[in-house]
Amino acid sequence: MKGRLALDKAFTLAVIIVALAGIIPLLHLLATVAVRGGEAILRAGPGFFTELPAPPGSRRLGGAAPALAGSLVLAVMSTAIGVPLAFGAALFLYEFRGTRLARAARAFLMSLLEIPTVLVGILVYVLLVVPLHGQSLLAGSLALAIVMLPYVATYVESALRQVPQTYREAGLALGLTRAQVALRIVAGIARRGILAGLIIGLSKAIGETAPLLFTVGGARSSVNINPLRPGDAAPLLIFHYAQTPYDNWRMLAWGASLVLVAAVLLIYVVAKAFVREVRM
Amino acid sequence: MTGPVPPEDKRFYYSLLPFIGVSMIVVLVLAAVLAYYSLPAVKKYGATAILGREWSPSEDNPSKARYGLLIPILGTLATATIAVLIGLPIALSMVVLTEEILPYRYRGLLGSIVDVMAAIPTIVYGLWGLTVLAPLLRETLYKWLHARLGWTPLFACNPFTGTTYMTAGILLGIIVVPYIYAIVREAYRSVPKKYRHGIYALGATRLEAVRLIMGMIRSAIAAAVLLAFGRAAGETVAVALVIGSAFNAPRCLLAPGYTIASLIANQFGESFYYPYMANALYLGGLLLLLIGIAANIAGLRLLGRARSLEG
Amino acid sequence: MGLLEVKDLRVTISGRKILEGVSFTFKPGTVTAVMGPSGSGKSTLLRSLNRLLELVPGARVEGQVLLDGEDVYRMNPYTVRRRIGMVFQSPNPFPHISIYDNVALAPRLHGLAKSREELDELVEWALRKAMLWDEVKDRLHRPPTELSGGQQQRLSLARAIAARPEVLLLDEPTANIDPVNTRKIEESIVSFARELGMTVVIVTHTPQQAVRISDHILFLYMGRQVEAGPTRSLALEPRTRLLAQYFKGEL
Repeated sequence: MKGRLALDKAFTLAVIIVALAGIIPLLHLLATVAVRGGEAILRAGPGFFTELPAPPGSRRLGGAAPALAGSLVLAVMSTAIGVPLAFGAALFLYEFRGTRLARAARAFLMSLLEIPTVLVGILVYVLLVVPLHGQSLLAGSLALAIVMLPYVATYVESALRQVPQTYREAGLALGLTRAQVALRIVAGIARRGILAGLIIGLSKAIGETAPLLFTVGGARSSVNINPLRPGDAAPLLIFHYAQTPYDNWRMLAWGASLVLVAAVLLIYVVAKAFVREVRM
Repeated sequence: MTGPVPPEDKRFYYSLLPFIGVSMIVVLVLAAVLAYYSLPAVKKYGATAILGREWSPSEDNPSKARYGLLIPILGTLATATIAVLIGLPIALSMVVLTEEILPYRYRGLLGSIVDVMAAIPTIVYGLWGLTVLAPLLRETLYKWLHARLGWTPLFACNPFTGTTYMTAGILLGIIVVPYIYAIVREAYRSVPKKYRHGIYALGATRLEAVRLIMGMIRSAIAAAVLLAFGRAAGETVAVALVIGSAFNAPRCLLAPGYTIASLIANQFGESFYYPYMANALYLGGLLLLLIGIAANIAGLRLLGRARSLEG
Repeated sequence: MGLLEVKDLRVTISGRKILEGVSFTFKPGTVTAVMGPSGSGKSTLLRSLNRLLELVPGARVEGQVLLDGEDVYRMNPYTVRRRIGMVFQSPNPFPHISIYDNVALAPRLHGLAKSREELDELVEWALRKAMLWDEVKDRLHRPPTELSGGQQQRLSLARAIAARPEVLLLDEPTANIDPVNTRKIEESIVSFARELGMTVVIVTHTPQQAVRISDHILFLYMGRQVEAGPTRSLALEPRTRLLAQYFKGEL
């Protein structure tokens, strides 16, 4: 009897330790981002958001303006492309649920989740960058839109399905068409969940790096917000500068990381305000 | 019973078709593009494109160039395996912590912590891994492993740097924890309360109860493992930063290496100066796609079965 | 005009017989009560009149439902539902739009009002007819969730008639409503028939309600039409034992 209890205590202890093995790195990461990123931003001052990066190895930091501006443009453009696409797909899956086409469509949509995001970047590279003879914020936005598509569509469809059937019936009973019921009534009632989906899409747009590697261009010698020209993005800056030996550039990478993490956490908190369960 | 489909419904249906067409097109066109651009490499190098170990670009003398993907392929499989071996116990422990140990009040907190883990962009994991984790592991774990277990091929090489297959695997392990946690926790909670309470009522200890319940949700755990494997195989930038980017076979885990994804990330941009290198990378992408899809199909099928068993 | 004829209506759902051999003529300007114990197919009958039954997978309808001579099942279902409205057992005003917009939704989409003034008039008219105007006229732009259950049901009534249907179906509309609101709703229903000339079909959960407000009674038992006729005579002298038992509350 004692042996069982002792074993049980050991088990509980082991569980706690192993779980902590997962939590502690996370906390350390957050702390490191906060400290090093904070250091970088404080040293650069408000210029972090407005200036170009200083030359490599310089004592100055300069700023990450091209990357931050680029990420902003990417966020806006990719959600502008991706959210309507996802909404339309979700609407189809909701209205025509159970049909063969819907089942196939769902399988394809979910398979997007399985595709490594770097390959999405390659796809857009072949389809857009090569024909247009250059990388661009538009190409990056398209890649991000494809990446966020299954996440947003899943959220929106789930939100639509949670609307009680009685409202759908009431709408139809008034003589509204299926389209009118779906758009004006069901989507209207589900708008909180739909908004949460949009916000999740946004977080994907900000945090993903691989889709941008061959599509955006990493152009940081000036701030570019022209969608048809190459630009920069925060994750891209981090990726490039992390691999350099220059202290000032690496500090910029930490600063950009802090901005990214803060943005993503903010988005998470906001999304949670709309929907109880948020799956990132 | 009913007449023809009213025109309003037809219009609605057709107007929505393009939206679902997009995902279909993306998947099919991607596979086609990868296959198409892989062909030249396959034609030139045959089986060694996949099975060859040598990767030696040659700008001036293309006929001497060799592109073999074996090392990145093995690297992908090795790091994904390490990721799952590390991530699974951690995630399972977190589930047990949430469901059996923590007082009610704190369960939401742990759930939120896991959500945050999932939300953090992997590039930040990579930066932290490169700057903090790699040096730390080198000084502590790797030196110890090489000293004590250096007789096995796995740890036989001298860890000069912290950016190795092992580091990538460990970092990936941390990254995939939320994926495993989400699936296993859902399955754990779906076990009817009457079973969970009944087991304790019969006098089982926590360990015995957990073993029992985990046994009941075996399929879901296996599904989570497969899905996490697929996810880890596809991760690009976090791995690219910490894996060291060198063509060493993943026989010794303490050596720098490559995965398919990190190879693409590193080389694709410059690959057009070297004939056939881009093609080899496309082939790598195709293989990566197949690995990802295979892992996901297997995982989702298991998950479907696990969910239908829950009745 | 609103003449609704049902001829030998048979309904099965996934092979199970729900309704068999229902034949009746619902006349404009009258209130017909559909009565019967639970499970007799009353709701199914209603939903097969406005083709809402099609939402149920596996539902098959045979026989005829004629609206002014036209087969409802050959018509465009949306046209059918514009002419045949429905009020449900649990009040279901749309929670995401205002009281005004709830009532104005159908007229807006069907183009029933040519200007904002006309729309305002229509909304006021519908709310007055549902005996709700005085209670909401100062908060038309508030959400309907602020209303009580009885008020919400009257709002559902107003919403339904704002679409100017020829036929109005009501599925146990006062089953969950307090007696005061029930009285008001019953008055409105009768006025729809008398003053607006609508064909009103109401599934009622109590024989007393049927006696109070209906001109005709259609009595269903286990999917079969057992009796049909003027309320006066059926209530005084039910022709079958089943109906007599039902009136006495024994079924």
